[in-house]
Amino acid sequence: MVATSHDVMPDIELYQPTDEANALALANTLGSAGWLLAGGQDTYGWLKDRNKTPSAMIELTQIDAWKGVKEIADGIEIGAVTTLTEIANNPLVQSRYGLLAKAASVVASPQIRNVGTLGGNLVQDARCWYYRRGLDCYRAGGNICYADSPEGLNREHALFGASRCVAVSPSDTAPALVALDATMVVSSEGGQRLIPAQDFFVGPARDIVNMTVLNEGEILTAVRIPSTWANAEFYFEKVADRNVWDFALVNVAAAIKVSGGSITDARIVCGAVECIPRRLEAVENAIRGQQRSEQLADQVAAIATDGARPLNYNHFKIPLMENLVKRAIRG
Amino acid sequence: MAYMHIGKDFVPPDVAGKVTGRIKYAEDYTREGMVYARLLTSPLPHARVVSIDAAEALAMEGVFGILTADDVYPDGEDNSPGLKVLTNQPTLVGEPILALAAVDEKTAETAIATISVTFERLPFVMDPLDSLAEGGPDGYDGGNTFVFREGVASEKWSRDEVASFRAGNEPTAEPQQSWEYGDLAAAFAASAYTYEGGFTTAGYPHQSMEPRSAFAYWENGKCYLHGTSQSMTPVAAGMADIVGVPVEDFVFINEATGGGFGQRARPNSIPSMAIPAKLSQKINRPVMMRVTREEEFTIGGARQGFQGWIKCGFKQDGTMAALDMYIISDNGGKGGGGDASSAADCISILYQTEAVRFRGTSIASNTGHRGAQRGPGQNQIAPIISPILDKAAEELGIDRLEIRKLNAAQNGDVGGPRRTPLTSAYMPEALEMGAQQFGWEERKGRARQKNGSKVRGLGIGQGYHNAGRSGMDGIVRLMPDGRLAVHSGVGNLGTYSFASTSRAAAEVLQMPWERVDVIAGRSDRHLPMTSPQDGSNSIFTNTRTNYGAAQDLLAKMKEIVAADLGGEPADYEHGNERVYRSSDNSVGMTFAEIAQRGLELGGKYTGESEVPEDMDDFSKLSVSRLAGTALMGLFKDPAHNNNPPGFTVTFTEIELDTETGKYEILDMISIAECGTVVHPQGLANQLRGGAVWGIGLSGYERHLYDPQNGIPASTGYWQSKVPTLLDTPANIGTGWVDLPDPENPVGARGVGEPSMGAVSAALTAAISDALDGHIFNAAPVTADMIINHVAGISSEAIPLAQNNFRG
Amino acid sequence: MGEIVRYKRDVWGEEVILGVSWDLLWVVAVAVLVLLAAHAIIMAALANKKMEKPSAEGRRVLRHETIDRLFHWVMAASILVLIATGIAPIIGLRIAWLNIHWIAGLLLTFVVVFHIIRSLFWQDFKSMILGPKDFGEPFDSAKKPGKYTFEQKGMHWAVTVVVLAVIFTGVLLFMQIDTPFWDRTNSMPEDQLGLMFLLHGLSTLALIALAATHIYFALRPEKLFYTRSMVSGWISEDEMTANHDTSLWSPKEAD
Repeated sequence: MVATSHDVMPDIELYQPTDEANALALANTLGSAGWLLAGGQDTYGWLKDRNKTPSAMIELTQIDAWKGVKEIADGIEIGAVTTLTEIANNPLVQSRYGLLAKAASVVASPQIRNVGTLGGNLVQDARCWYYRRGLDCYRAGGNICYADSPEGLNREHALFGASRCVAVSPSDTAPALVALDATMVVSSEGGQRLIPAQDFFVGPARDIVNMTVLNEGEILTAVRIPSTWANAEFYFEKVADRNVWDFALVNVAAAIKVSGGSITDARIVCGAVECIPRRLEAVENAIRGQQRSEQLADQVAAIATDGARPLNYNHFKIPLMENLVKRAIRG
Repeated sequence: MAYMHIGKDFVPPDVAGKVTGRIKYAEDYTREGMVYARLLTSPLPHARVVSIDAAEALAMEGVFGILTADDVYPDGEDNSPGLKVLTNQPTLVGEPILALAAVDEKTAETAIATISVTFERLPFVMDPLDSLAEGGPDGYDGGNTFVFREGVASEKWSRDEVASFRAGNEPTAEPQQSWEYGDLAAAFAASAYTYEGGFTTAGYPHQSMEPRSAFAYWENGKCYLHGTSQSMTPVAAGMADIVGVPVEDFVFINEATGGGFGQRARPNSIPSMAIPAKLSQKINRPVMMRVTREEEFTIGGARQGFQGWIKCGFKQDGTMAALDMYIISDNGGKGGGGDASSAADCISILYQTEAVRFRGTSIASNTGHRGAQRGPGQNQIAPIISPILDKAAEELGIDRLEIRKLNAAQNGDVGGPRRTPLTSAYMPEALEMGAQQFGWEERKGRARQKNGSKVRGLGIGQGYHNAGRSGMDGIVRLMPDGRLAVHSGVGNLGTYSFASTSRAAAEVLQMPWERVDVIAGRSDRHLPMTSPQDGSNSIFTNTRTNYGAAQDLLAKMKEIVAADLGGEPADYEHGNERVYRSSDNSVGMTFAEIAQRGLELGGKYTGESEVPEDMDDFSKLSVSRLAGTALMGLFKDPAHNNNPPGFTVTFTEIELDTETGKYEILDMISIAECGTVVHPQGLANQLRGGAVWGIGLSGYERHLYDPQNGIPASTGYWQSKVPTLLDTPANIGTGWVDLPDPENPVGARGVGEPSMGAVSAALTAAISDALDGHIFNAAPVTADMIINHVAGISSEAIPLAQNNFRG
Repeated sequence: MGEIVRYKRDVWGEEVILGVSWDLLWVVAVAVLVLLAAHAIIMAALANKKMEKPSAEGRRVLRHETIDRLFHWVMAASILVLIATGIAPIIGLRIAWLNIHWIAGLLLTFVVVFHIIRSLFWQDFKSMILGPKDFGEPFDSAKKPGKYTFEQKGMHWAVTVVVLAVIFTGVLLFMQIDTPFWDRTNSMPEDQLGLMFLLHGLSTLALIALAATHIYFALRPEKLFYTRSMVSGWISEDEMTANHDTSLWSPKEAD
């Protein structure tokens, strides 16, 4: 079988549970054979190309408990099956966590945001084209990376944390949620795991075939955002080739608390530079206690790219990342 | 001149169907017993099929048969590049090897997965310059280029020559093709400013929304093929040949087409449509072949990329004195076109260059099939030349608008290798109109103004394409009920020119549009032969034929009326669907009465005799089938003189963010100079559509192949980065000069292609402006290139690499 | 189960070797456990018929010099680390194993090269040569070996072959990844790469079996004095005379 787009889906058993218990039971019984489907934007390409051929699909969009935004004791909880459009337009998100509203509003294209979900945006698979073409690379369980080579097409690949695989985190909402110190609610028949957003994603050094720590039978059901960072000063920017329908070349999400012009605390996260959203703790430490200013931004931007290891065609991500961090600090 | 139809908006007959979705494309047809074909395509960039084992697939339930290259070419394939229906000698990944028909697509795909094809792997190359270098791999069997009438040949430079060329120096090797005029050395000597450097432009696919799906069946010895093409009769005639059936036994049906852009104009660029026809013949069932987006990417064609060197000299007064250009054009895996020579021709005409030398060689790469795409050559060079012109203006202290005006083509000018006179030209007027509407004088002070990390850039771009042909045929009929039937061999490629050119006939007869039927869309509707709908020619070519046929009809009508009512034909005139005596309009006949009388008279009046002898055989066949059905006007268009140009001008203002490499198009206006405007709405759409293409060409559209393995990396709309609605300015202003051309009866010339080049040129000029005149010498200019430039990182791409994207 | 080789498609869709089937890991683990358990049971059944253990007291003779003991333990540690880090991703442990793996691999390569050179020029290489007459040793209780028993020589040479195979393939694979010393090149054809992975995997499986066997015997009560000698360097004269032919091996006294 040749890696190509066949544009015909194989036969798949479709399950459409309407309640949580059923969905979790199905996820448990079907295990790796049960493909989780929400908006389908990470799914249908794989299936139509016949590059992934799960025997069953569990559609999660009919489970109301996993949809919508609600207030909880400390902050808000967003159901993982909530569409990105809903999140971008939700008054609660907009008023308190504008960072996430902005991030959700620049994902892909309006059409994709209308069906694509928060959960899907977070757990989506790597977008490296070699991998997506169905080649048996490291990430697909093979023994080679086609992108990390002198001639490989690696303009969109990683600056940091590469280990054999050089794919990057494609999500726009992930850096925002890491910046907001969110918690991922992961459910399975065995119970619930609460995982800090920062620990939810996993790089190739630790797990080369998965992008998150989700195990078989587990479903990301909600995201909780604590009140800690509500109404902080936010900055989100995504730079992509086109204005819509592209993954970020680099994106930045920053939550900064300012008091009397001085930065009291900050969380700054970049996407598309590493396989996981990259938290810039050194930059955060460098600006804490400093006056928020253009000069400060210029002084610390270079810290953001310390340790960057560019591939042959992605050197531009270094100045781009520094510029975006500068803009985040400038506000 | 006051026209009844020309220059007026109208509702083309297929609009309702397109708006409601009821119009049928090839994929929308069904027929009882229809089965589905899928393709097995080459996984290798260059290979030879050694054997095919399809036994398991053929034994599967629901599988009806396969078609291979051996079925299509029983005497073997010829060893020329160019797309084949199916091939045993693939020169690119994705080239169709065999087709399999099954009860449904899923069964077909599952069956294809069991077929084992043994390939012999052959050397392959992705960058033409790698092949050009001594010892480099060749893209074709036995060579890396194709010489017209001689076949596959090998073209090699020393490695030093290639390295020097990549470094931006003038190539010294003998070119495959060359032409020149004027005294180049003297012109450079007279130049006060000379620019010299290497450049590269990306070739990328046509991206037609409708893939080249086709559906075919046979009935009573006739082959019915539902296909997709931008042309109608030239494709119908040629496809009959490819399918291997006499043209009289072949029906091509193509009511609507979802885009062609150059690669569906001629049958040899869409031979895959013969697959369902051949397969249907073999298994005796109707066969639907739905082509996937990826297959469309592969066999759907791509523009030729350029790797070039340019030297341009300007006199102190701003006159472009000299152009010396050397281009290696990327022929892809299946042969290419003449883009490079057209690029030099374009500069020669647009800027009236005093001395020009063009040298070019085309080299194979095992990438997608290459061929004509919207302004082939002219539009690649437009974004390259524009910043150079601005650099010259800056160096010589001349306004950027002025340098364009003083070099602009006008009436009486000549251009190109043969110094062909232009039929008419009003480029200074177009520039002036654009400058007025854009407010150039007021805005030009804003150039390079900074606001934080953002900086303004202004750009002017110009586009050109030869825009008109002649020598084609016209058939019109006046029906017994007095309605006018205009038989149009023009394809419905989305521009509505199949209908708008018909209005020339209605104009002649002063027929209300609702009384006119445009007969098109299927070859068994008996259509005249015309030129393919490429090269922006349709408006010019087919207003001539329809005008001529209507004139013939009108002459015959007057003859009939004069014979019945007395006097000479010259004593009569027409209006309100009557022919009446000039001196007494109560004496006359209605069109319906004349048509009925014509039917009674027969002979030359109904196409039964005196058919113009020099009409194309296809047209004669149509006339013979229509003979005796109505009063008929027939016309064989004589050749026109000189070169009818299509010109456009674009003005734009952008705001470029130096920190992100992104820019916003704040304003854009495009002006057409295309003779008399036939269909204003259609023209405005051409200008805007071309603008979207131009934004892609200078901005981000790409055609990626993995240099290591030759597999395509940008097979869909997402990876190809076609501009979206939200990448395009909400308003793109349009305008037109609207002065008549003497070589066309309604004064019209074509304009479809140049609108893209002008926009692309305006944008690269604006980017260059925003970056203090830095010239990238490339199209597209991508965000990473801008970021690297600002950060002082030397370009990451291999010099003169075919595509600046590496991702 | 049942497959030895895993296959994948190369970039052009043709089937090539991907590596060893890691199902074999469990096969090897179970087989080794069963064999060693069987050995332990048989030995236990025969235990009372055995002679008294020679005394560890009395005069001590030098069996392993400090440098050789150090080599042994560095090698043992690096092999155990290599096995552990190699197995981690196979059994789904999410640890950053690769850097530890290649660093341990480099260490192993270094000490093995050191040992080869030392054994050829500074050690009594002949004492480790496995000759035809050695093969009679297990069947003749009267026949005693020189410095190394037949089993020890056998284990040594088996480990030598397997470790050299692991190192050879490991170094080639090491060259296929990014390291601080070089960037990977993707220059090895995919079928050759797969073959290297297969050989690396197969030799790893053999090494696991040998390591397990070696550790088992090192912990056997009747062989424990050898293990002690690998820690402290000496064995007692009693232990020597009970197990070795002093005409073939006359070590110097331990310090």
